[in-house]
Amino acid sequence: MAEKKIEGEHLHPPAAMVDEVSEFEILEIAVRELAIEKGLFSADDHRRWSDYMETVGPLPAGRLVAKAWLDPEFKKLAVTDGIKASLSVGIDWINDMPSSFGTPSDYCNLRVLEDTPKLKHVVVCTLCSCYPRPILGQSPEWYRTPNYRRRIVRWPRQVLSEFGLQLPEDVEVRVEDSNQKSRFIVLPVRPEGTEGWTEDQLAEIVTRDCLIGVAVPKPDKTANDKRSVHPAINPVEHH
Amino acid sequence: MSKPQFDREHHVKKATGIGDPQCFKGEAGTAKFKVGDKVRVKDLADIFYNRCQVYTRGVEATVAELVYESPPAEDEAWDNCDNPEWFYSLIFKQKDLWPDYPDTFANDTLETELSERWLELA
Amino acid sequence: MTDINPEKIELDMEMTSRNLDDSPISLLEKIKKEGRVWDDLSEQYGVDNPDPPWKVGLDSTCDVLAELSCSQPLPALERRWEEDELSKKLYADVPFPERQLLALAHSMIRRGLIDEGDLARHMKIVDKRLNMV
Repeated sequence: MAEKKIEGEHLHPPAAMVDEVSEFEILEIAVRELAIEKGLFSADDHRRWSDYMETVGPLPAGRLVAKAWLDPEFKKLAVTDGIKASLSVGIDWINDMPSSFGTPSDYCNLRVLEDTPKLKHVVVCTLCSCYPRPILGQSPEWYRTPNYRRRIVRWPRQVLSEFGLQLPEDVEVRVEDSNQKSRFIVLPVRPEGTEGWTEDQLAEIVTRDCLIGVAVPKPDKTANDKRSVHPAINPVEHH
Repeated sequence: MSKPQFDREHHVKKATGIGDPQCFKGEAGTAKFKVGDKVRVKDLADIFYNRCQVYTRGVEATVAELVYESPPAEDEAWDNCDNPEWFYSLIFKQKDLWPDYPDTFANDTLETELSERWLELA
Repeated sequence: MTDINPEKIELDMEMTSRNLDDSPISLLEKIKKEGRVWDDLSEQYGVDNPDPPWKVGLDSTCDVLAELSCSQPLPALERRWEEDELSKKLYADVPFPERQLLALAHSMIRRGLIDEGDLARHMKIVDKRLNMV
């Protein structure tokens, strides 16, 4: 995709597109259409969901943290009533959802976990990978793997160091196992070097990985690290 | 084999516009435990839809918060929403969960939620 | 003491033994072998998007199959457990999210929600439709 130079002018290349149809794309569509044909669900049901899924992402959660950093009263609200605090960043857990009462898998009980210099939270769902989708978007692959789910409860510090996060001995590392109807995001400690920053600037450094708890915000870091997924070497025995 | 037909419409009507677990507020009666109580996780018989992790069975924890009222997962899986229970957020010491957890990290904890039926005073 | 429902007891036993037929399904094995995964396609065509265009459709199908109001043909906890089991061996070498898609199709076929033959036939129809210029 090299730029073409024509007599000193720059031409931008057209947006890249995958120009072939894979068997997997066909499979997804065929499964869906067959399911609709068999009456397992309706096309409308599916569209409700896919329309909704297109709207969710991690930005509102980052903004909630930024607001909490700037306003102690909002921080109090965030920690005591996550559902109400979510409204301030445009997320309505109760009414926006495809089923209008929180989905069977997301429910309506957001708990915001406040880190302190002596307490670091990290979130997991050992049973199946529940995740606060309405405010954080779809979960990353590594979060769903048995590798992460089984090891983070048992060896949290080892797993965190694989994510590049090392914590002092006296800091309490608290693993939050999201096994029922609550969903969790971490409210990390505001990093040094962000004095005088605007809400926009602060929100930018609160990445999805910071909100899960496997990373801490840094003034120069606005993206999640790329993760490759390895099979577990020492998995905890599951149920 | 088809699943038994239960009244799912009822739950949808009950929760719409109100939220789940909000729609069960006030239905669980008096909570058996309070914040600060030391409790132990009972090792009840396993059924598929239980949401009490095996690694917590028989272990002591401290009640950190009374989080909400809801039918327990074990009942809800069969659409039995008749008996909501109080749900508690519990903090375990990692050292109590995993005997070989390093002493160096003695402060580390794990927090998770369980419904009342799974708990007894320690 | 809840009423004893004979059907419930049978289902209880089925659930606790957690049977999963993880033997290969020929249609899915064929797709596994011949299908081009997004990792390769996006690299070849220089596309930045980390997810294939069908991922939202896949996630939505998973969610809607677990919905209470849609008679819950495939509850989330069961589907995820089966996906984890299938990802251990049968689809271990398939990247994500193709692995999730194969596991979903596998679960649905084994549970009799869709039929392998119907799926193969319908894939041909979709193929024709998508490749019409």
